[in-house]
Amino acid sequence: MQVNEHPVEQEEVMAFLDGELPSDRTALVAAHLEECRECQRLAAELRDVSRRLTALQVGPSAVRLPGRPKRAEVWMGLGVAAALCLLLLSLVQPKMMNQASRARLTAMQARRSALQSSAAKPMIARTSQLVLITTEFDKARGALEDILKRHRGYLGQLDVTAPADGPRIFNATLRVPSDQLDPTVAEIRKLGRVESESQSGEEVTKQYVDLDARLTNARNTEQRLTALLHDRSGKMTDVLAVEKEIDRVRGEIEQMEAEKKTLVNRVDFATLNVTLREASKAQLSPHSTLDRFRNAAAEGYASLLAGVVGAVVFLLSYGPSLLLWGGLLVIALRFLPGGLRKVSALLKSRD
Amino acid sequence: MVSDETPSDEALMVEFQRGSRPALEELFARYREPIFGFFCRRLYLRERAEDLTQDTFLAVIRAKARYEPRALVRTYLYGIAMKLLAAERRKGFVVIPGATSVANDSADEVLWVRQALERLEEGDREILMLREYEQLSYGEIGSLLGLPVNTVRSRLFRSRMALKGQLDPAGSLENVKCK
Repeated sequence: MQVNEHPVEQEEVMAFLDGELPSDRTALVAAHLEECRECQRLAAELRDVSRRLTALQVGPSAVRLPGRPKRAEVWMGLGVAAALCLLLLSLVQPKMMNQASRARLTAMQARRSALQSSAAKPMIARTSQLVLITTEFDKARGALEDILKRHRGYLGQLDVTAPADGPRIFNATLRVPSDQLDPTVAEIRKLGRVESESQSGEEVTKQYVDLDARLTNARNTEQRLTALLHDRSGKMTDVLAVEKEIDRVRGEIEQMEAEKKTLVNRVDFATLNVTLREASKAQLSPHSTLDRFRNAAAEGYASLLAGVVGAVVFLLSYGPSLLLWGGLLVIALRFLPGGLRKVSALLKSRD
Repeated sequence: MVSDETPSDEALMVEFQRGSRPALEELFARYREPIFGFFCRRLYLRERAEDLTQDTFLAVIRAKARYEPRALVRTYLYGIAMKLLAAERRKGFVVIPGATSVANDSADEVLWVRQALERLEEGDREILMLREYEQLSYGEIGSLLGLPVNTVRSRLFRSRMALKGQLDPAGSLENVKCK
């Protein structure tokens, strides 16, 4: 977009959406947005970014206000809770038996149907680990991506470490549809030599059934409370108390729905942890005699090279000092008056 | 004259400075979840976020005389929260991706959002998060981070444009930054 073709800047469009424009610019940007398609598209994109960021939701906390409550406040809290219970009882008494028994029946039916369906097909969250060694590191990484696309999987996490003096290591957590796990693993095995492999499965049927039953109960409670609110005849404070309770139950429902989706996702999509390690060809077939000779030769050459390099490094590090002190010693022995003779005499007298 | 209007945060803070516990409780009720969300989205650990939320209000109680009505209570609270967060990070706290704790209803979407946010430059990310999640105004963000409003605006725009590309679900292995 050419900025100079527009009477407003892109940042101003954003500030307009955020309600952060000065009043003198607001009307101008609003009028421009009505007629400019490019700016309308920009506004839509900005709104979309904000909308997608809302995915990172945080559930309700259990934080309490610091400081010990006074005894009177504790008693007052207990009194309010008791009053709320009495209020709920008195309001729902005529319908309570029927509603409660119906709710229990519904919850039991939900639990039974969930158990029946789970009996037919247990819910297993599958996890697999695969460690491979490959000489063609880059090719294997590309092939892994193709395999992932072919089996309708997606990438959970990726780490690549490439130290200057060591082999590159590629760690990836892949999520693939559970029914595609075995063919995916079979294809990934072909990318290198398998160093280790493991598979495990966690049965989450009971967890799912419990969660489903609790969710049904919570929804029934929410419906009963909402019905209470519609037929309200109490004081405003009582109505507010019921609304507060509805908010709490809704919070619980949202949290349980999130847990349920996560659980289903774990079952529908298996987790596959893949580690690809770069290695030389010799490491891939250690039992071959030819490769053992090759390895031995390579190690011999490497140790010879290391020895020569070490000697040169030693000479460069200490050579000048050795030359200096050696030279001084020679001068002392040769040119000082009677130096060498005195030393010889001293040695002889000791003998 | 009796006013039916809800007291402002600043009025509550002044009441609290005069010794009113209910005023503090009302402030706590208003800001408990926002401050908890602030820590939770940055640390990904609910328990630690809850501790730090409590520490924030503890700091308010201990330093109640220090608050001056010139500043917004919201800015004051997030200022304390940011200092606690910085101290927590100095302790060498490491965020463990996947060690969870934020409740959500779409694991894929959350993963994309987290990865996209992590790729932003730290300062830009903080500005974006303060705007999108804490709903602070440009001026409030500027005073919290010590930046001019225009800088906040341009960096916020840059972050959003960067996210626009990164949040594309078509992104795959190529789009993931190697650590």
